[in-house]
Amino acid sequence: MAMSVLKEKGRKYVGLPEFARVSGQLVADLQLEQQRGTVTSVPDERTIRYYLAEGLIQTPEERQGTASVFSYLNLLQLLTVKKLQAEHLPIRKIRELVAGKSEQELETLLGVRGPSGKKTEAKRYLESLLAPAPSASLMDAAAPPAQHLDASPHSWQRVEIEPGLELHVRSDYAPPATTGKTRSLLERAIHRLRRLRD
Amino acid sequence: MEYPKVEFFTTRAKLEAGREQTVDVLIRITPPALSLDHSTRPNWKGRPDLNLSLVLDRSGSMEGEKMIRAREAAMFCVDQMLPTDRLSVVTFDDRIEVLFPSEPVTNKQAMKDLIARVTARGSTALHEAWVRGGLTVSERMLDQGINRVVLITDGLANVGITSTDEIVTQSMGLYQRGVSTSTIGIGADFNEDLLMPMAQSGGGNAWHVVEPGDMQHIFQTELEGLIAQYAHTVSLSLIPADGVRIVDVLNDFELTETGRYRLPNLQAGSPLDIVAQLRVGAEDAGSQMRLLDLRLGFMPQEAKQAEVLKQAHTVEFASTTAVENSPVNDEVIKAVQFLMNARARNEAMKRMDAGDYAGAEAVLGTALSATRAACADFAAMPAVMEECASLQETSMSLKDRLKDKMSRKKLAYAAYTRQTGKLDR
Repeated sequence: MAMSVLKEKGRKYVGLPEFARVSGQLVADLQLEQQRGTVTSVPDERTIRYYLAEGLIQTPEERQGTASVFSYLNLLQLLTVKKLQAEHLPIRKIRELVAGKSEQELETLLGVRGPSGKKTEAKRYLESLLAPAPSASLMDAAAPPAQHLDASPHSWQRVEIEPGLELHVRSDYAPPATTGKTRSLLERAIHRLRRLRD
Repeated sequence: MEYPKVEFFTTRAKLEAGREQTVDVLIRITPPALSLDHSTRPNWKGRPDLNLSLVLDRSGSMEGEKMIRAREAAMFCVDQMLPTDRLSVVTFDDRIEVLFPSEPVTNKQAMKDLIARVTARGSTALHEAWVRGGLTVSERMLDQGINRVVLITDGLANVGITSTDEIVTQSMGLYQRGVSTSTIGIGADFNEDLLMPMAQSGGGNAWHVVEPGDMQHIFQTELEGLIAQYAHTVSLSLIPADGVRIVDVLNDFELTETGRYRLPNLQAGSPLDIVAQLRVGAEDAGSQMRLLDLRLGFMPQEAKQAEVLKQAHTVEFASTTAVENSPVNDEVIKAVQFLMNARARNEAMKRMDAGDYAGAEAVLGTALSATRAACADFAAMPAVMEECASLQETSMSLKDRLKDKMSRKKLAYAAYTRQTGKLDR
């Protein structure tokens, strides 16, 4: 899901109908529709005009003929507005949270951001603290899986292992904590890969 | 960007000419107050975004009042957060559970419902729980906001890694990678020698809950502190002039790898007092001297680049009569005395550990008389009255062997708050 938003980076949308079509698809993809209430769930042209007038979406400066050219930033603004509306925040509060935010900040707010260098550093460090410890298997003892607060799906991330091989990792996935478990995971992965070949 | 204000004070404005002397210099660093001016910073909503993990002890000893208060405090924390913040809750006894992973704080009721179901059981896998909390934070690292683990426990680490040195080193390692750690110890049975250094090396705050009712207040202060954080990774160097020697820095700061003093995080609008004792040679009356050069390095909360602030302090020398007739600065006397008292508390703690209770009591008694004598001219100042009451009360509780654990914690935390300028509750 997250990937589909990030793939839009750098794209432009000429004219309101095109912008409404793409953003409508993404709202559905990200499941940002409101469950109930009076606001239409998928943003149509009229809603977008309203958002522009309310300053929730920045008015695009670029034009092609008579058509406004919307940017990736506009798209993120729209998606964030929908997300916060789905969380029943008042327009005034939403404007405060969205106005002036950079692409990066909006991506973070939407929870679609890919990891940067520093981000993974702390995570890698903590994982290294767990890995060799004998106590690390505690987590597997009997702990029930983490409970999620909303129905929104996890984000997925692709990691290239070598050319031609990618791992697709869910955001809540915890790598095996012991060497034994790591070995068993690797064996299973290799087994599956070989079966693909046969 | 706005820089902290650095001021220098000596007991009297001018130094005595014609003799070698030891001079107390109070260095007060005041970070700018939070700016709520949106016109200059359209992006700024008055505070950084928070990315927190509450790591909550649910071991058997938490049963009853402590567990209830801990739950209430966690729910209070949920209430104070914004939809742009993220929160996760990890609970631990001998097992560790991610109650919920890092989520934007939008569905507050759902979060509180989950917290409400946490009850006490089992023993204390403190280290792994801390790591798990850190992981939930690290998965959603904020570049500019605050990434922090808040560890709440009443017990000793007795499952998994339990070595204090190891955990404290790891806490610093995690801080260097962008996630800080605060610790909240409840009652008399936790290990202050683990929780305090863990927070200090971890770039957070160390709290001690004496009464279960303190918890909510601590959470409020912790959150306000997070919200008001001005800078982290703060270091100080003091370079004395030729012929001037630094005898002592009373705060007993740890040193960084490069030999600078490691300072606590700077809080917006909240001053940090540092006292340096300098040995200064004889100078002529009327002459001036650049006594000390200061260099303050820090990482502002809003920026990605470290900043360095340089400032020098120049003093003037005057005749003995002129100096004696000039007014005394109470703030300097108070700062010196409180930091000396912090040392007395640490000394009393050492004597307690060695079984010398009479010695510990004597150390506190001396500190109390010294404070009364030094602060006689402004004895009614609330901070002075509180300090005297605290010394007296701890000295009394030292007489009671049953209160040992609590007495030691009171000494440890009082010394810590005075040396780091953290607000005492």
